[in-house]
Amino acid sequence: MAHLEILTGNELTSGATVYLDANGNWVEDINAARLFGAADAEAKEAAMAATKKTLRILSLDAETVTVVDGRIVADRIRERIRAEGPTAPVFERQHLDEDSHVSI
Amino acid sequence: MYRYDEFDAAFVSARTAQFSDQVRRRLSGELNEDQFRPLRLMNGLYLQLHAYMLRIAVPYGTLSSRQMRMLAHIARTYDRGYGHFTTRQNIQFNWPKLRDIPKILEELASVEMHAIQTSGNCIRNVTTDQFAGAAADEIIDPRPIAEIMRQWSSLHPEFTYLPRKFKIALTGSPNDRAAIKFHDIGLMAATNGAGDIGWQVYVGGGLGRTPMIGKLINGYVPNEHLLAYLESILRVYNRYGRRDNKYKARIKILVHEEGLETIKGQVEEEFAQVRGGVLTLPQTELDRISSYFAPPAFATQSVLSLDVAKEKILDPAYGRFLDRNLFAHRQPGYASLTVSLKPIGGAPGDATDAQMDAVADIAERYSFDELRVTHEQNLVLPHVALSDVRAVYDALVTVELADANAGQITDMIACPGLDFCALANARSIPIAQEISRRFAAPERQKQIGDLKIKISGCINACGHHHVGHIGILGVEKKGTELYQITLGGDATENAAVGKILGPGFVAEEVPDVIEKLVETYIANRQGTDEPFIAAFRRLGEAPFKEALYGNA
Repeated sequence: MAHLEILTGNELTSGATVYLDANGNWVEDINAARLFGAADAEAKEAAMAATKKTLRILSLDAETVTVVDGRIVADRIRERIRAEGPTAPVFERQHLDEDSHVSI
Repeated sequence: MYRYDEFDAAFVSARTAQFSDQVRRRLSGELNEDQFRPLRLMNGLYLQLHAYMLRIAVPYGTLSSRQMRMLAHIARTYDRGYGHFTTRQNIQFNWPKLRDIPKILEELASVEMHAIQTSGNCIRNVTTDQFAGAAADEIIDPRPIAEIMRQWSSLHPEFTYLPRKFKIALTGSPNDRAAIKFHDIGLMAATNGAGDIGWQVYVGGGLGRTPMIGKLINGYVPNEHLLAYLESILRVYNRYGRRDNKYKARIKILVHEEGLETIKGQVEEEFAQVRGGVLTLPQTELDRISSYFAPPAFATQSVLSLDVAKEKILDPAYGRFLDRNLFAHRQPGYASLTVSLKPIGGAPGDATDAQMDAVADIAERYSFDELRVTHEQNLVLPHVALSDVRAVYDALVTVELADANAGQITDMIACPGLDFCALANARSIPIAQEISRRFAAPERQKQIGDLKIKISGCINACGHHHVGHIGILGVEKKGTELYQITLGGDATENAAVGKILGPGFVAEEVPDVIEKLVETYIANRQGTDEPFIAAFRRLGEAPFKEALYGNA
């Protein structure tokens, strides 16, 4: 199976879990995340460097994922919980504030 | 209760203003995260999986109604309508926004609360017996000394960058309800030959990846020299504690590697230098602080006991509450009541804003305005007249806080685990919920009797699994959450670290595993008055191991 990664972090003001999409926006939906393959290492590094410059994304990291029936599923349990919100008690995930959208 | 003096108010106010400015500079981009992170951690602000988490100090677990109402207000206004009470007798909010933190701290300061030193490599919130100042078995109220230690340790310039965090607990009763032997320093009230009350000092206890029972370093330190002695220990630790390896940086490792006698010699040497100096505690100051903790104006009561047997017949649920949730008070006609935060199927330690408000109202009316947070993640109404117990119970029922399970199998400690915590490897809360549902029936809980289950979602052991009679440790193995079982842990004066029984189990198997352990205990106990932990000590692990893994 192809080695795929996404970039994820937490937005500064809300702390919300976010993903870098193909347009350079940090968004809430993991399914909108840009997929980086093994050949995209340079692009991934550049995106991470550009993100760090914004000072607005914390805990920036690459996570391995698998595409299942067209949906992006994080390989680690931890990341699946980050994407969906707590399982017990169930709470909706944290959302970005109107003025807390970040782009690179 | 203690009230801030001018110095306390000024330093909390100054710190709030300072951190507010740091938040402003972070939001404006003047500070980057590498610069801001240590500053926010010093103010109790973590970043967890889904959001920030703010940990607020509840000094020695004591709250007034006014303070509890403020916590409810913060939950309602800035968070998601609930808070999570922790094993350090603190409270955590899981969803605050960074820009709201200055306002939250300002509101907290208005009721003499803050989040300082709830994180970082400093002296953390001092904890004590939740029944302090009320317990019938107490030889001294530990709260005045706890308050003095709070003042000594707050912003202590020498101990702001210790090798690692440092936790102190104390108990004024010989029956340890504060897990003092699992702290960096544990203090137990002791009497010398002249009948004076001072402190036995234990050092080097702890949980985490290397659990250790604290070792007795001094059998009697008088009150007046206690701060000097604590300072001596901290100085030795600050000087010799390992800073090269985070996992070996706690004082328990220093004591273990150097040996108790070596550390004791170093501490005594330091103590000889500082004893009798500025840290000597004058009796007048001890008296002044103690006056804040003077017993409330107890009234002479006509009801001096409750007929529990009769109440059990009239109202079984109330009877069970009397059976489990009342604790003997030193004042005739009064009791301390445990308010369980362990509803069947609930998240251990969570309380809604409405529940916090309700408990504050109850405390104001029936418990001299006082509340306690327990390290087992419950609340306590410390001073309730026996004649008021029924009214308090009825009030608790209306806000679903009358679970009669204190000390029973469903009264579990559980850390937030992988549902919230950035350090966790496995979920804790769903495991607690499933066990709770499995053993929900009151008759079943009564049949089992006293049993402490403690659950941690990683080896850092915030859920105290090492000292659970049954401990559950969540680990991740090849992408699956697995749960290791330990047996025989004990956080009391009979301190013991639980032993791992064998390979771990997947989450779905855990309730059955607990059921097998419980059944093995019931089948082998010498009678209903032999609790689980006593039976385990007599039987050893063999029958329990066989029940889970067979003879192979």
